[in-house]
Order: sequence, then C-alpha cells, then structure tokens
Amino acid sequence: MSRLRAVGAGALHLWPVALVLVLWDLWVVLNGYTATVAPRPWDVIADVVDGFGDYLPYTAYTLGMSLGGLVGGTIVGFVGAVLVWWSAALSGVVTPAALVIRSVPITAMIPIIARVVGYGDPAVLASTVLICFFPAFVFTLSALTAIPDSGRDLFRVLGAGRAQLLGRYGVLHALPSLMVSVRITAPTAVLSAMLAEFLMGANGLGALFSRARSYMDMERAWGTALVATVVSVVVFILARLLERRVADRVS
Amino acid sequence: MPSTLSRPAPERAVAPGAPPRSAVSISGADKVFTLSRGRTLQALDAVDLQITEGEFVAIIGPSGCGKSTVLRLAAGLDTPTNGTVEIFGAAPRTLAAQHRLGVAFQEHALLPWASVRENIALPYRVAGRRVDDARVDELIELVGLGGFEKARPKQLSGGMRQRVSIARALVLSPDLLLLDEPFGALDAVTRRKMNAELARIWAEERITTILVTHDVDEALILADRVVVMSGRPGHVRTVVDVDFPRPRGPETTRSPEFHALVDRLTALLDAPEPM
Amino acid sequence: MITGARTTTRIAYAAAGALLLVVGAQLIGQFELAGKAWPPLTDVLAYVATPSGSSLIQRNLLVTLGAAGQGFVIGSAVALLGATAALLVPILRPGLDRFAAILNAVPTIALAPLLITTAGREGTPAVIAALSVGFVMFVATTSGFAATSAPQQDLLTVFGASRRRRLALLELPRSVPAFVDGLTLAAPAAILGATIGEWFGAPQGIGLLLVSAMQNYQMALLWAAALAATLASLVAYLLLVQMQRVAVRRFS
Ligand SMILES: Nc1ncnc2c1ncn2[C@@H]1O[C@H](COP(=O)(O)OP(=O)(O)OP(=O)(O)O)[C@@H](O)[C@H]1O
Ligand SMILES: [Mg+2]
Repeated sequence: MSRLRAVGAGALHLWPVALVLVLWDLWVVLNGYTATVAPRPWDVIADVVDGFGDYLPYTAYTLGMSLGGLVGGTIVGFVGAVLVWWSAALSGVVTPAALVIRSVPITAMIPIIARVVGYGDPAVLASTVLICFFPAFVFTLSALTAIPDSGRDLFRVLGAGRAQLLGRYGVLHALPSLMVSVRITAPTAVLSAMLAEFLMGANGLGALFSRARSYMDMERAWGTALVATVVSVVVFILARLLERRVADRVS
Repeated sequence: MPSTLSRPAPERAVAPGAPPRSAVSISGADKVFTLSRGRTLQALDAVDLQITEGEFVAIIGPSGCGKSTVLRLAAGLDTPTNGTVEIFGAAPRTLAAQHRLGVAFQEHALLPWASVRENIALPYRVAGRRVDDARVDELIELVGLGGFEKARPKQLSGGMRQRVSIARALVLSPDLLLLDEPFGALDAVTRRKMNAELARIWAEERITTILVTHDVDEALILADRVVVMSGRPGHVRTVVDVDFPRPRGPETTRSPEFHALVDRLTALLDAPEPM
Repeated sequence: MITGARTTTRIAYAAAGALLLVVGAQLIGQFELAGKAWPPLTDVLAYVATPSGSSLIQRNLLVTLGAAGQGFVIGSAVALLGATAALLVPILRPGLDRFAAILNAVPTIALAPLLITTAGREGTPAVIAALSVGFVMFVATTSGFAATSAPQQDLLTVFGASRRRRLALLELPRSVPAFVDGLTLAAPAAILGATIGEWFGAPQGIGLLLVSAMQNYQMALLWAAALAATLASLVAYLLLVQMQRVAVRRFS
C-alpha cells in the first residue's frame, strides 16, 4: 500500500514532463503548424509505437555503442590512471595533457576520428570510448592522488608497499569518483554516439534522424529525438543508480 | 622521580639475568613542521624517551603539545628534524616492514568498505599471512563487539570504531604497540573495562606499549611510567614512575597513594612551568 | 622552500606533458602513422598562418563564440531563476529536480528538430548553447542550495530568520561556489552546444567549418578548426577556474 503510494507520488513528480507535452501540443495547435513543420506529440508517440520494429534495430545499435563506449572508456581510463599514478613524474606529465585533450569539444573530435579511423562502426565506438576515457582517467587519478593521509599512514605502519596501498585501499577509494565520472559521461556517451552516427550516417538513431530529416519525415525525426531522449535518460538513471549503489557500499 | 611505592618483581618475558633490551630510543628529537609561505612551527624540542622492552609508558600533556608527533616518530611516519629515533636498535621503518608494529590512531582510519571482521583481519592480509580466524574472533570478543562482526564502520558509534582500531592494532601480537587516545570516545564505564582488558593483554603478552591519553587515572592504571609533556614547543616536563602493584583493581584506584599521584600529575598538567 | 621547489617541478612536468603532446601529434602526422587524415601540426599551423586560412578561422570562431556567449549568459540566468523558484516553492522542488536530471540527460541533438522550426537555422546554435548551459547550471545551483548544512539552517531558524532572509543570508552566498563550479563546466558546454547547433545548417561557425572540412577532405582546415574550438573551450574553462578560486576563497 505504501509502495503504491510511493509510486504514485513518484509519478506525480513527473509533472514537468506532462507540462512539456501539453505545451508542445498547444504550441503546435496555436501556431497552426502542419505535420511537416512540427508534429503533435500524440502523432509522434503514435509513430514510435506503430513503427516500433523500425526503431528497434537503430535504438539497439545506439544503446550498444553508448554502453560499449561507456564501459570500455571507463575501464581504459581507470587502468590508465592507476598506471600513471604509479609514477609521480608520469602523472605530472600526463595529467595536464589529459586536461587539454578533455577540453576538445566532441563536435571537433568526431570529424577527426571519422577521417582517421574511417567511416563505420569502429569510428562510432572509438568516439564514445575516447569521450568516456578522459573523465574516467582524470577522476580516478585525482582520487588516487587524494588518498587520505590517515589511510596512507595506516598502510605504512602495517608495512604495506605501494602495490598493497593501491590494491587494498586506492582502488576502492577511487571507485566512487569513477562512478561520478560514469554518471557524468553516460549522457555524453549517448550524445557522441548519436553525433557520430549523424555525421557518418550508416546506422543508429543518429543516422535514422539524419535520414528522416532529409526526407522531411518530421514525425520520424521527432520520434527519433524522443527515443534518443528516453535512451539517454535511461542510461543516465542506470548510471546514477550504480553510482549510488557503489557510493553506499564503499563509504 | 622515583615513587616510594613498592611493586612485586616484574615477570618479564626476557630471560632472567639478561639486561632488558631497549625497545624505543628517542634522543634529542626536534620536530619542525614547514607551514605554507615558508613559516615554520616547532612541534618538539629535544625530546628524550627511552623505553625498555616490555614496558608500558603513558604520555599525558595538554592538547597540541606534541604527543601524537612523538608517536608518529616512533611509528616511522615522520622523521625528526634533529636527533635520532631507534626502535629495537633499528630504524622505525624496519619494524613496520616486518609487520611487528601495532598502531591505533587518534582518528581510527578504518576501511569504510570493509566489515568489522575484515578491518581487524587487515594486518594479516597486508602481511601476506593466512587470517587466523580464532584470533580475530577472540579480539572481537575482547573489545566487546561480538554480534557486530559484519557491521561496517558507518554503522558503528565513534567508540565502537575506536575499539575496532584497537583490535586491529593488537591482532598480530605486535612487538611495539602505539595507542593514540584509543579510549577517547568511550564512556567512563566502558573505558575502565577496556583499561582492564588492555592491562590483562599487556600482562599476558608484555607488548612494549606507548599510550597517549588525557586521562590521568587511565595512565596510572596502565603504565609503568608516565611521561608528562608540555607545549610550545613540545618537550618532556617530567617522568613519573608508577609502582602500584598489578593488577590495579578498585583497591588500587581507591587508595590514598593513587589519589595523591593523580593530584600531582593533574597539577603538573594545569600549572605553568617554573621558568 | 619545499613548496616552491614542488611548484617548479609541477610546472616542469606540465611543460614536459605539453611538449610530449605537441611533439607526439607532430610525429604521428610526419610519419603518417594515422594515415593522411592526421597532418603534421606544422602543416596545420602553416595553414592558419596563411591570410585566407586565418581570416576564415577567425571569422567563424567569432560567430561561434558569439552564439556560445549569448547562450552562456541566458542559460545561466534562467537556470538561476529556476533554481531559486524551486527553492522558494518547496512543492515544486521534487518535480523540478527530477526534471533537471532528465534535461541533463537529453542529448542536445534531439532538440535540433524543435529548434530549427522555432529558432531558425541561425538562431539554433545560441539556443542549444543556452539549453546546454541551463541544464548544467540548474543542477549546479540546486545542489549548491542543498549544500547549506542543517546546523546553519537551524541557527537561522533559532534566530527567527524569515524565508527571504534565509535565502539572502545563507543559501545564496553558500551556493556561490557550486554556482561558479557549474560555470566552469558550462563554458565548454556552451561552445559544444553552439557547434552542435551549427551542424544543422547554420550559415557560419566553427561547427559548420568542421563538417564541411571533413566532407571535403580538407585536413588542414579540419584540424585548424578543431584546434580553434579546443583553445576557445580551454581558455573559457581556465578563466572560470580562476574565478572559481576567488569565489571559493571568499564564500567558503
Ligand atoms: N603535519 C603537521 N604539519 C604542521 N603542523 C603540525 C603537523 N602535525 C602536528 N602539527 C603541530 O604540531 C603540534 C603538536 O601536534 P600533535 O598532534 O602532536 O599534538 P597532540 O599533543 O597530539 O594534541 P592532541 O592532544 O590535541 O591530539 C601542534 O601545534 C600541531 O599544530
Ligand atoms: Mg594527538
């Protein structure tokens, strides 16, 4: 009973979403837009529901690319940070460079990756991996350099070496920061997968969107945007759930 | 300052007749900390502290007088700016490297992701030894945390966390035990109970121990000698031998001699030093 | 003394890192390790040095920066107002918080069809920039408001402070560091948002330059545009980090 009520309250708190749908519909109707300019929300939702089979492979592709990039980039970034932490000199050299590369806008990175890697799946995946790599690297490294003195002291009096400090303390201490990076990059991974797909136009929601736009199929274009939003929000919520789980377990 | 009280012959673990070995030897230790913008702070000034094997020494003194700093020197966590520190005739680091050092820090430093049991077993893991479950259980009982084996630090009270940290310091039966206000967060009753347990362990294992405390009674219940420190910069003001017979139960703490010594030490803590 | 020496080594390391980055990029280009699409940096710089190249980059960069700047200001202002409203009207709060999380996850590309209809091709970059900034800033500001500790709240309640006073005395000043923190993230987000907007058929801008250079295989131009966008983003970020340092010193 209280569970039911909690779900009800949760749904009530989604009022801004409902408001957006209503405003969207009003805006279309009041301006008298035709379906080729701006479709009504109900038509878009109907298109997604009716064309579920059409959307599915594209959605799966984008989801796969985003999650693959998110997991891959995060792991590579974490391992890279751990390796670099091992040497103070190396981390001093690499960290500023990583910060610079991190500020390359993905809109500048993707065209270059597309040209260097070649159009296709590897380029899409490379984009998402690279974009998730740098935050994971930076967050992990800064957590490792901020290992509390009390932890350091503890392992020193226990006679632990650097490897033990890392394995028994550093890695777990850095885990919450890594999860913050996962949460922050999760929507970016979806965005960059879509931008790469949009630019290269072979597969995925980005490509579907690009195609619908050039055929002036506005319901499909808006539908793609809607599905992409849902995918991104779901990935984000999952990442946030994971972050909370980990933070709860580790601290 | 020898006390007039007699005590029974000590039952040291050392072979009879052999001269007691030096466990901790701090000689002329200064400690100067470098603060930001080139300012410095002298925390210790020519501290001398000689402790023989199997001895229990308490350090008391006002807050900020450098007690923790002395302990950190003995643990090898800091090096003195001048002077020398030797533990069992070697550099302090050696003892830690051989996993023969037990430390309970002022801020307990438990691993937040590990259970009480895992925290207490950590020294075994770091030393690469098989965890002796019976020993861990024994210590959990000893510090009164039976039933909390699986709890994680955030589910414990401050005093319970301190007790975990004491158990962790004891688990490997170290050769040198450093305790920095280990009972600070405990209520008076639990505190005395833990004092009695610590006294019992010490009587059994004769671990050379340095205990930092603010509680004069506690120092007198536990220690062979009490080192009184003063601040700015930190130095040793007096060393008082404590010769009450062990075990020091309520009869001891209620005795007029005990009260006299408490009063004397408390006065030393309060009063400014004669110049 | 010691801290001075540390700073020097840090700067030396950072310089070494920068050098490594530049030399690495140059060598990869020189020996075509990544194919023809990765030109030597010297080629890129030579291209930027030509009058036509430099004026092309400069012109487009200014357009992008204009859109990003507009979006930055509008987005931050609206987010601040929204977060304050959410704070003052508690009943709105859970809904708006949840909405902010959702907005933060909306891939900005998904907004393009809406914006092309409403804002037109020229206006889209600034609007996407504003939305990107707004999402980031709303989240940062609400978390800043939430950062006031319970004892501080209790203290003011005990003193009988009204809601408005509490906002002025406690929540607004306390949220400044988080707000400025958000700004450091929002500045690059503004530039990213503007360039995404330009991908959808804007007549000018770095984003447009990037796409057309890619499609026409003009590698020097592509890299020059990417460098310009990166530099702009980096400079904006560093400026705001400086501002953040000041804010942190002043307000926490
Ligand atoms: N790492 C450090 N850097 C600078 N100053 C320090 C450092 N550690 C200790 N100090 C200073 O040295 C002095 C002695 O500190 P210490 O922690 O040894 O005091 P204490 O006697 O243990 O005090 P308390 O009873 O409050 O724990 C203090 O003035 C403290 O500010
Ligand atoms: Mg202390």
